[in-house]
Amino acid sequence: MMRRPRSSTTCSLLAGAVGLLVAMLALSPVAAQSTGEKFARLPIRSDGPKSLDPAKGSTSYDNQVVCQIYETLLQYKYLVRPDSVTSYEDVSEPLLLAEMPKVSDEADGKQVWKFKLRDDVFFHDDACFPGGKGRKLATDDVFYSWKRLADPKYEYENYWLLQDTILGLDEFKEKFATRQPSKSEPNPPPPPPFDYAAPVEGFRKVSDTEFEVILKKSVVRFGWVISMFQTSIVAREAVEKYGDTLGKHPVGTGPFILKNESDWKPGQNMILHRNPNYRTELYPSEATPKEKEQGLLASAGQKLPLLDRIELTFYTPDPVMWQDFQDRKIALVQVPAEYFEKAFVKRTKRLTKEYSDNGIQAEAVPLLDFIFRGFNMEDPILGGYDEKRTKIRQAISLAVDLDEHNDTFYNGINVVYDGPIPPPLDGFPKNGKAPNSFRGPNLRKARELLAEAGYPEGRGLPEIEYYTSKGSNQAEQTQAEIRQLARIGIRLNPKMVDFSELIEAINQKKAQMFGFAWGSDYPDPENNLALFYSRNKAPGANHYNYDRPEFDKLYEQIIVMKPGPERTRIIEQMRDMVIADVPFVGSMARTRFYLAHPFLKNFKPSEDFYNWFKYLDVDASAPR
Amino acid sequence: MWSYVARRLLYSIPVYLGIILIMMGALRLRDPVSAYLGKNATAETALLKKASMGLDRPFLPIGIEDPAEPFGIEPIVEVGRVGFYPPLRTQYVEFLWRILRFDFGTAERPYRSWQFESDNVGAKLADAVWPTLKITIPALVLTATIAILVGLLSAAYRGSVLDKTLMVLVVLGMSISVVVFIVLGQVFGSSWLNGKLGFELFASNGYEPGIQNWVKYCALPVIIGVVVGMGYDARFYRAVMVEETSRDYITTAVAKGAPRHKIIFVHMLKNAMIPVITRIMITIPFLITGSIVMEYQFRIPGMGKLLIDAIVNKDFPIIQTFTAVLAGLFILTNILTDVLYALVDPRVRLA
Repeated sequence: MMRRPRSSTTCSLLAGAVGLLVAMLALSPVAAQSTGEKFARLPIRSDGPKSLDPAKGSTSYDNQVVCQIYETLLQYKYLVRPDSVTSYEDVSEPLLLAEMPKVSDEADGKQVWKFKLRDDVFFHDDACFPGGKGRKLATDDVFYSWKRLADPKYEYENYWLLQDTILGLDEFKEKFATRQPSKSEPNPPPPPPFDYAAPVEGFRKVSDTEFEVILKKSVVRFGWVISMFQTSIVAREAVEKYGDTLGKHPVGTGPFILKNESDWKPGQNMILHRNPNYRTELYPSEATPKEKEQGLLASAGQKLPLLDRIELTFYTPDPVMWQDFQDRKIALVQVPAEYFEKAFVKRTKRLTKEYSDNGIQAEAVPLLDFIFRGFNMEDPILGGYDEKRTKIRQAISLAVDLDEHNDTFYNGINVVYDGPIPPPLDGFPKNGKAPNSFRGPNLRKARELLAEAGYPEGRGLPEIEYYTSKGSNQAEQTQAEIRQLARIGIRLNPKMVDFSELIEAINQKKAQMFGFAWGSDYPDPENNLALFYSRNKAPGANHYNYDRPEFDKLYEQIIVMKPGPERTRIIEQMRDMVIADVPFVGSMARTRFYLAHPFLKNFKPSEDFYNWFKYLDVDASAPR
Repeated sequence: MWSYVARRLLYSIPVYLGIILIMMGALRLRDPVSAYLGKNATAETALLKKASMGLDRPFLPIGIEDPAEPFGIEPIVEVGRVGFYPPLRTQYVEFLWRILRFDFGTAERPYRSWQFESDNVGAKLADAVWPTLKITIPALVLTATIAILVGLLSAAYRGSVLDKTLMVLVVLGMSISVVVFIVLGQVFGSSWLNGKLGFELFASNGYEPGIQNWVKYCALPVIIGVVVGMGYDARFYRAVMVEETSRDYITTAVAKGAPRHKIIFVHMLKNAMIPVITRIMITIPFLITGSIVMEYQFRIPGMGKLLIDAIVNKDFPIIQTFTAVLAGLFILTNILTDVLYALVDPRVRLA
């Protein structure tokens, strides 16, 4: 008897599978649904923020998103990009404030900052408020938000911004901090519960919209700090309602809102919608000449934000991001180094014909970068301030060819400069060259110094342990350094380690020499010069363990000095001091290149601040 | 059978305890807190972070305290510098207790990821499982089915043009790096094809939940997974089947005049099931852990991407929990494999 059931079952299964596939294809959202909203898809070159709570944020990736939702007292001016910056007043403007703060010095050395909040700022509508309606911003919100940084619950991640600044805030923090056991107090009592109502001497409320902040002394960086996203203003009601999950339920005052928790898929994307209740905040009408020439004032006077929706996509693999830009899925892109020559002519740094013919916009964004090779100044062979060991470091510095590094590994787009202060900050040497420069290559001079130090042609000098982190082309860069130093007889023993191991080696003062980089937290040279202040020695940010009392004295002067020629002179003196002592070989600052499709308007990226998405617009009629 | 399973489970307990001990010890060789905290971390922040994770407690019930960084608990007994601590408050026992209860964070008892401080570790793992399974299960089923078919056909027609062609194709698939397939897939399978079709059939990257989005976001990774994975399996199955073709029962079946397809798909396949099952079973834990490369390149928020992101961001709680879960899965899979042997082959005696 012929039996056919098996083949008919197989046919049925096959038909079912094909049917399922067709059904899934039919359901598949193959074409984006047009909502009539103006929107742009923007890339974030990382796996995105980890928390949307300003008190917990620390990375630029957190900043890129948080500052779209929350706001600070001041902000950077979008279209004012001066060639040099000496004070926060050069580039800052009020955001939550009605006017720039008024600063006055007291006779006892204290400084009073008088603030006036705008009267039309409201928090986003949210269930944490009565009736779900966002309430008006008030003085108490500012005090509350800044006190949060002193709350041990947030592990003081951003307290360093206000440390040793506001009168009574350090004492307030200590009052609620867990005391460590000591010999005199082996079992310290537990701290009292954190009390936001407890007074801070330096917070003086005048009214719901006016307040004063008294600083212990004149702290120049405070002007920068109040533009930093970590000091954004949060609503107490939101913190109390959402607790630990505030990082997923942001309630700010900013131009964009996260409507639903599901609009953020960590590691994937985030959709932010226009805040429908955003106050009347206008596109700027002030710009530096270059920005004017670029036509960036065309939208001046228009109400912000200009887009109804921004879709942030988080990219970790660069090729995927690059391909999405080619496919016009994202409006702009930060050009990864390996794609630089696809878009730009390496020699001229201009767009290739193909890109410029297609109307692609390009912008170069210089970073506040300090890339260097550091020395441990406490190392018995390379460290110290005597003539012999200083000459060894000077010789090493003269043997290293940073221009070759720049050309080979960075497409020649970095700025090579002397000292620790990147452009355009006060103290950056003219044309990058300081008067007492030890920048190489100058092999003849390097050999002379090495011989004077007692190691002619490097003879007798032990191999130097050089720690550097594993990275995209770190192995190749290290090989270049080995070759460059071999020319004067110095041998490097490279230790390619993970970043955590590198930090550990530096913190434990094990690394004789190390490759590292510092990105300035704010555009004041004080931030970079703090890297050489002896109180910040490892495990602090002074990785070199540089310790020169005369430098410390000058540093203590500049942190309380108003920007001006005298401060600049001292900064230059400090810069030249470290250049002569050579606690590092350097320096380089990266320039990032951005591209944007022609449909994106008002494109002027920056990495000093990130709340510029509100200024972006799209030409809805242009092909997308 | 049940006593065998119980015995295997019992034997596995010390193995698992050992794995957890070694894994936890290895993760603590370098201070996980200083690795996680950035350039502006203060000693105070580091201490609070340690305390939040219990890293300020002794690792084992016996330990030596560092005077600079004392443990967060008092010893029961102290002999010289060596202290004996309440076992239930040590890191090792606490984590085992957590595993035993499968408690990786609840609203009442949070166990937070370090990078995503609003999320519990358990929730992060649970969220990542489904995207992974939507890739790995179809890939496993398709790979196994096609590879078995290829193995059977190649073995049955050993030395023929069909055999050689199939082998060349599968070897080609496994010889080229998966990254090449991914890039080709993204450029031609997505960008180019979508341009030709005028709509987005396959997304070059990204993920959206929902079965209706499966084709768009998951089909391309599955296809690439099958192409890359099939070579290894097909060659293995072919070798197994070739060995089977020389068995007496095949000679008998041929002598009896059994049809060729019946010999291949019934007799041969059934008798070759043990290595087939072994091969499939060893991939089961990877169904959960996913493919790191595939998920990373396609930005699929699965377990593989979760792990690589956790490693990159030094997210200690996720790494520790993920590793413990993976180790447990391996042990359970091994036991399950042995049980399945007995079910498919009565010759295997478990007693």
